Amino acid sequence: MSKTILLTTLGLGAALCAQAGDLHGKVNCKGVRDSANAVVYVAAVPGKTFAPPAAHAKMDQKNLVFIPHVMPVLVGTTVDYLNSDAVLHNVFSPDACCDKFNLGTWPQGQSKSYTFKKECVATLLCKVHPEMEGFVVACPTPYYAVTKADGSFSIPNVPDGSYTVKVWHPKLKATQKTVAVAGATQAAFEIAK
Amino acid sequence: MNSPTHQRPGPLLRCLILLALFLGLAAPASAFPIFARKYQTSCVTCHTVYPKLNAMGEAFRLNGYRLPKETEDLIKQKPVSLGSEAYKRVWPDAVWPNELPGNAPLAVNVKMANVYTSSTDASGSKTVVHNDFQFPQEVNLFAAGTLGEHMSFMAELTHAENSDGSSGTEIEHARLGFESLLGPEHAFNIRMGKFAPNLYAGFQEMWLMTDNGLDSMFNYNPVGFRGGIGMLDDAAGVVSLPARVRGIEVYGVLNHRFFYTFGAMSKIAPGANAPVTGTDALNSTGSPNGNFNNSTHKDVYVRFDYKFGGMGLDGDTEGVTLPPENWRENSFRVGVLALKGNATGVDFLAADANGPVIDPVDGENPYHQQDTSYIRTGLFLSWTLSDLNVFGVYLNGKDTLELRSADNLTLVSTNDRTYKAYFVQADYVLAPPFHISARYERLTPGDTTVQPLKVVNLNFTYLAAANIKFMLEYNKADQSGVGTNKSLNTVIRAAF
Repeated sequence: MSKTILLTTLGLGAALCAQAGDLHGKVNCKGVRDSANAVVYVAAVPGKTFAPPAAHAKMDQKNLVFIPHVMPVLVGTTVDYLNSDAVLHNVFSPDACCDKFNLGTWPQGQSKSYTFKKECVATLLCKVHPEMEGFVVACPTPYYAVTKADGSFSIPNVPDGSYTVKVWHPKLKATQKTVAVAGATQAAFEIAK
Repeated sequence: MNSPTHQRPGPLLRCLILLALFLGLAAPASAFPIFARKYQTSCVTCHTVYPKLNAMGEAFRLNGYRLPKETEDLIKQKPVSLGSEAYKRVWPDAVWPNELPGNAPLAVNVKMANVYTSSTDASGSKTVVHNDFQFPQEVNLFAAGTLGEHMSFMAELTHAENSDGSSGTEIEHARLGFESLLGPEHAFNIRMGKFAPNLYAGFQEMWLMTDNGLDSMFNYNPVGFRGGIGMLDDAAGVVSLPARVRGIEVYGVLNHRFFYTFGAMSKIAPGANAPVTGTDALNSTGSPNGNFNNSTHKDVYVRFDYKFGGMGLDGDTEGVTLPPENWRENSFRVGVLALKGNATGVDFLAADANGPVIDPVDGENPYHQQDTSYIRTGLFLSWTLSDLNVFGVYLNGKDTLELRSADNLTLVSTNDRTYKAYFVQADYVLAPPFHISARYERLTPGDTTVQPLKVVNLNFTYLAAANIKFMLEYNKADQSGVGTNKSLNTVIRAAF
């Protein structure tokens, strides 16, 4: 009897572990200096919706640069924009998917917030410093990652299943493909202009 | 009409002409280490022996200083952003975004020459200069590059020292380019400023591997009592083909192989721009006004080319097999060119091979002349077969010359004079560091009483490094009845 229970428990445990895994791999970005800053994300998980996190995401403006340069968030997330520079900064977006918001200007040490209520790729600009540029990618699922300089990414705990996985990059054409996730799964992408 | 007489014996004028034969001065340099730094690549990526361009270099130049199908990762010097790309969507609520070169886009060319010359005039009198150390002969400061996706710029400041130690500084080029404005990429581009026009693509002095330029093309003076007799000093500018223009030019490459250009430029004015009349005009043309005329009139030009084989003029290589050696290809390029203008109001004193021609009515002072209409038509050919490039131009010129009285008040006669000029040059790559060139030029002046000018130019170049070259160049210019000039120059050029 105890042997049966043990075997059943082990079997159930193995089955549970096999229902999710890391989706990892590489994005080869052609025509740009390196393969960083591509956002890889699962477009939708059938039958599931995801509540936005209570904790705000944070983007800084420091040394006249948006940090991070590219930030994926779950739809519904509120992003806090902090000014860490000794000069005034502004954050606005020309994109309709985020209502072309403009948060005004604020000094060092203060922050202002915006909630991304819709799926959106938002370009962030600063009216005070036109060369500044950042991106928020509001994704429909919490399964997303940003590539490193070598193009590598890892999305943890993606449930097993077949999904459309999308890749977006600030300068290259987006792409997508169907990936069957079964435990730890590898996927490779190539994007270009 | 009374017969014209001459004010002075011929030999002095002949000496001046002989001197002018020499003063088809060295070709200005045009190698931009700026781009070697920008792309972290060698000069020989674009040059066979600088400044001569290979097929890639010509495509780079026509593309507005951009590599064919250029991507961000090819540019090693990251540009300075003047605005995010997204600001294009914000315009006109914000300034259109652009870029600056990441580093100061400057380069320097230094040229030193050891000059040996021998000139013999028609009377047999000989002048020889041994080992004139012209150190330096010329220093050029260049600035060139791109400003974002659709703009480029180029400027050249030249300081030249003459053999007697006198010197001069000139802005040789200063232009802006606006690229790929309409239609397919490379199809429609505009340049404006002071520049060597694309009318001369392939044979303008700044792209020749030789030190001596093409006097027969650019330094002939067609104004003379019976038509032109020979050369003018390059510094004075000439009414034949101006080496550089102040103008606006449209050019483009269509379907990778068809090239066109047309442009309008300020009228050239090597003589006096403010003609005088009456007693002020006696033996005088009034005040010169530089090389360009500020009148309303503009000269116009046009050229059409087609390239068979080899790399496309925009750098396209689809369906083409090219050898790994970047100076080699098998191609043939043919072009037709034309320029039309007038130099009305630009005043000259009439002269022929024997000197100023005296107005018999006045008895003492020479006639005046103006070139009231000129047209140049030509054919350009360039054949490249592996290591050999043979190219040349045949040019036909017609000038309507107005002869005016010594007081410049009366039109005496109007005559059409034609001249012909051609050159053939063969450049050969013995091995990447060693190059030879041989050129023959012939100019048949408008004055049919003057013999043709024949020029032979031989060059051996040793490319010590991609940006340093040594040249041994022999030039012989011979015009029967005027004299013969020979030179043997040893030249060192460094670009950095």
